[in-house]
Amino acid sequence: MKTSLKLSLMAAVLAAGGCATLSPEAERQLEEARASYRFVSEDPRVQRYAAVELASASTALREAERLAAEGGSPELVEHNAYLAERRSRTALGTAQIRQVEADIAVAREDRRRTQLEAREREAAAARARAEQAEAARREAEQRAQLLARERVEKEKVSVAATELAAEVKRLETELADVRAKQTDRGWILTLKNELLFDSGGATLKSGAQRALDNLAQFLRKHPERDLAIEGFTDSIGSPDSNQRLSERRAHAVKDALTGRGIESWRIHARGYGPSFPVASNATETGRQLNRRVEIVINPS
Amino acid sequence: MKRLALFFLPLAACAMTEPPVSEMAAAREMVAQARAIAAQDAPQDLATAQSKLAHAEAAMQREHYEHARLLAQQAEADAKLAWTNAEKLQAQRALREERSGR
Repeated sequence: MKTSLKLSLMAAVLAAGGCATLSPEAERQLEEARASYRFVSEDPRVQRYAAVELASASTALREAERLAAEGGSPELVEHNAYLAERRSRTALGTAQIRQVEADIAVAREDRRRTQLEAREREAAAARARAEQAEAARREAEQRAQLLARERVEKEKVSVAATELAAEVKRLETELADVRAKQTDRGWILTLKNELLFDSGGATLKSGAQRALDNLAQFLRKHPERDLAIEGFTDSIGSPDSNQRLSERRAHAVKDALTGRGIESWRIHARGYGPSFPVASNATETGRQLNRRVEIVINPS
Repeated sequence: MKRLALFFLPLAACAMTEPPVSEMAAAREMVAQARAIAAQDAPQDLATAQSKLAHAEAAMQREHYEHARLLAQQAEADAKLAWTNAEKLQAQRALREERSGR
């Protein structure tokens, strides 16, 4: 009797619940699946990157809910809850993979850019170094060329000056009563009037011809130089006549040189009368020194 | 061990008559994929999937098709989770390497 009652009770329960009522284990698994799905589906990365996986989790969860509501078999509720929980976690994992892959792409791009920038910086530095070296080399070359040119110029000048001095000295020795001295204005040859002119006159004596030949020859050898011919007198007589006499004598010397083929424009003849005495006019010796023609060989 | 609970469930009263061919194929394929990359990075989920697949195969032999279907579906879900977690760990390692400049 007791046994048959039990059996009939069981039969009633089975008939009412279809297969069975929801077991605590099925209830627990269903709750776990709901929580897992809720957590995962709220993640925007999952919505964006794992929509397919999320949808399949949703399908399983809805199936589990439907079975639970309709009193389906606990094992099928558990089964679908289990699938929903696994698929939810798979959806989350898929989204995380996409996230990490995106991060890798960014990191790779960063590294590539960093390397590129480093290479570009290195190349720019190398270029700058090369340009600097090239500029330094050019500057050194220019300086060397300049120094070489200056040296050559200096040598030329010094050779020319030496040659000129030698020739002037030769002129001095060849011409009696000619004194040569080097000044700021150049070489000055001083010729006494007695050598060149008769007293009071401006006609060159025949004895002066050789001296003028030598001077003309010298000027022909140095076409780069020009001359100032300056006549002076002593202080005896009127200043005006002395002035005119000194001018006529300077011009006579100039004419003699142009007559020997020297270009007129290279020679500037002037008279200074008794100005600029080189000695005292109080003695005959002094006056003799003051009566003179100075030929200034201007520096080139 | 709760995942193995299903193994000991009695067969459902309303058993399927048709063998779950596509579920079995999907489970086999997913388990094979997971086995290729998850042995180190997701060994537990992989072992669960492999075990469930083996039991599903056995259920197929016994022609317990409803049981085989559920086991195959779970094996596939487990294998997919194992594959996903392994893939995630490997991607995270790749990211760390990338950031440390290799």
